[in-house]
Amino acid sequence: MSRFERQHILPDFGATGQEKLRDARILVVGAGGLGCPALLYLSAAGVGTIGIADGDSISESNLNRQTLFGHDDIGKPKAGTAGKLLKAKYPDINIQIISDYLNSENILDILEEYDLVLDGSDNFGTRYMVNDACVLAGKALVMGAIYKYEGQVTVFNYGEEPVNYRDLYPVPPAANEIPNCSETGVLGVLPGIIGTLQAAEAIKIISGLGKVLSNKVLFYDLKNCSFYEVIVKPNPASAKQIPADRESFRKTDYNITCGLAESISWEKAMEWSRSIENSVLIDIRELNEEPVFDQKDIEKIPMDSLSDNTTQLENVEHVLLFCKSGQRSMKLAEQLKQKFPEKKIFSVEGGILHPSSPLKMQNDGA
Amino acid sequence: MERFKIKAFGMLAEKLPSQEFDFPVYADTEELLNKLEQEYPQLKEAKYSLAIDKQVVHDKQALNGNEEIALLPPFSGG
Repeated sequence: MSRFERQHILPDFGATGQEKLRDARILVVGAGGLGCPALLYLSAAGVGTIGIADGDSISESNLNRQTLFGHDDIGKPKAGTAGKLLKAKYPDINIQIISDYLNSENILDILEEYDLVLDGSDNFGTRYMVNDACVLAGKALVMGAIYKYEGQVTVFNYGEEPVNYRDLYPVPPAANEIPNCSETGVLGVLPGIIGTLQAAEAIKIISGLGKVLSNKVLFYDLKNCSFYEVIVKPNPASAKQIPADRESFRKTDYNITCGLAESISWEKAMEWSRSIENSVLIDIRELNEEPVFDQKDIEKIPMDSLSDNTTQLENVEHVLLFCKSGQRSMKLAEQLKQKFPEKKIFSVEGGILHPSSPLKMQNDGA
Repeated sequence: MERFKIKAFGMLAEKLPSQEFDFPVYADTEELLNKLEQEYPQLKEAKYSLAIDKQVVHDKQALNGNEEIALLPPFSGG
C-alpha cells in the first residue's frame, strides 16, 4: 500500500500518471491565498519537486485564506514556513524554498529548474514578469487570480497554438487603471477554490489527463456559483510586447505601482527622520520578525495594526515606512496615501535587504 | 427593438449598472465600446478585454444584435 493507492487505481491516471507526477518539477509563485491550497494538493498528490517562491512574511490578516499558516506563524517567512510544514507531512517529496521575491534578474535562472509554473502572485507586475519569463523559457503557466468574490483561471504557453497573458491583456494596467490600490476584501474560501483549480490543471498537464484549460479563461463567481468560459486566440499585436530575448527581459522594469506613494532611499530616510520634526520612521514588520531593532528613532508598528489604526499618524507630516524588502512598505504606503493624501508618505526602497541599509539582517548590535 | 445582453465581471460591474444589463445594439464592436464609454465614463479608466459569444476579440468586428457581450477585466489578487 502506498499513499498514492487511490490514484493508482484510478482509470486514466494509474501508476503511469503517478510516475509522471513524481518526476515533475513545479514552481509555485506566491505562497498566499492561491499558493497555499495549490501547494497542499500538489504535495499531497505526490509532485516530486515543488519550488515555493515568496519573499513575504506571514501577517495576521493572511490567516483567513492562507491555510498552511496559523497563529503561531505570524511574522515568519511564508516560503520557509510552508516548506517546513509540507516536508513534515510528505517526506517523500522534494521541497525547494526560494525566500526572495522573483524579479527579472533571477527568474530565468530559477525557471530552468522547473517544468511548469503555477502563478499565485498578488500583483500585476509579477504576473506580467512571470508570463513573459515563461514565454521566453517555454514553460507552461497555470495562472489564477482573484478579485473580491470572483476568480479567473487559465493555462498559458501550452498546446499547439499557445497563448499567454498578453494575448488577453497586451499591456499592464496604467497606474490610474489599477482598480483599487488599497487592500480589497476577500472571502477566504475563494482563493481556496481558484488555487485548487490551478493545482488540478497542473496535475492534468503533468500526467496528460483530460482536457487542459489552455486557450481558455475560466471566470468563477462565488456569490452566484456561476462559471463563464471564454476562448482566447493568439493576438499578433501583443507578441511584440514581450521582450525579444533574455537580455532585454532582464532590463525590463516590471514594477507597477498605483503611482500614489513614492519610494525613498535609506540615506534620505535616515536624514529626514533625524532632521525633520514631524517625521517618523516606522518598521512595519511583525513584532517578532527577526532581526528586532531596538532603536529610539525607529517606531515599531506592524502593517496590519497601522492600517487598522492610524491615530499615531495624526500629527505626523512625513511618514517613512520600511520592511524587509520594500514590498510590504510600498503596499502600505499606497494604502495610507489614499487615506491621507495631504501627508508625505514614503516607502524605503529595498527595505532592510537593500545594500545601503544601515540596518542589517544579522543584528550585529547596529 | 433588439438590445445587447452585456455581462461585466469583477471591478467592471462596479462601474456599470450591474453584472448583467441591456444596451442598445450598434453595428460593430468599436461603436459599441465608444457608446458604452460615453454612457459609463468610468470604463475609460479600466483595462478589459471584450468577448463576443464567449470568444475574446481584439479587432473591430461587425455585430448583428444577437451576440452575447462580455467585458473581462484582469484580476491581480492572490
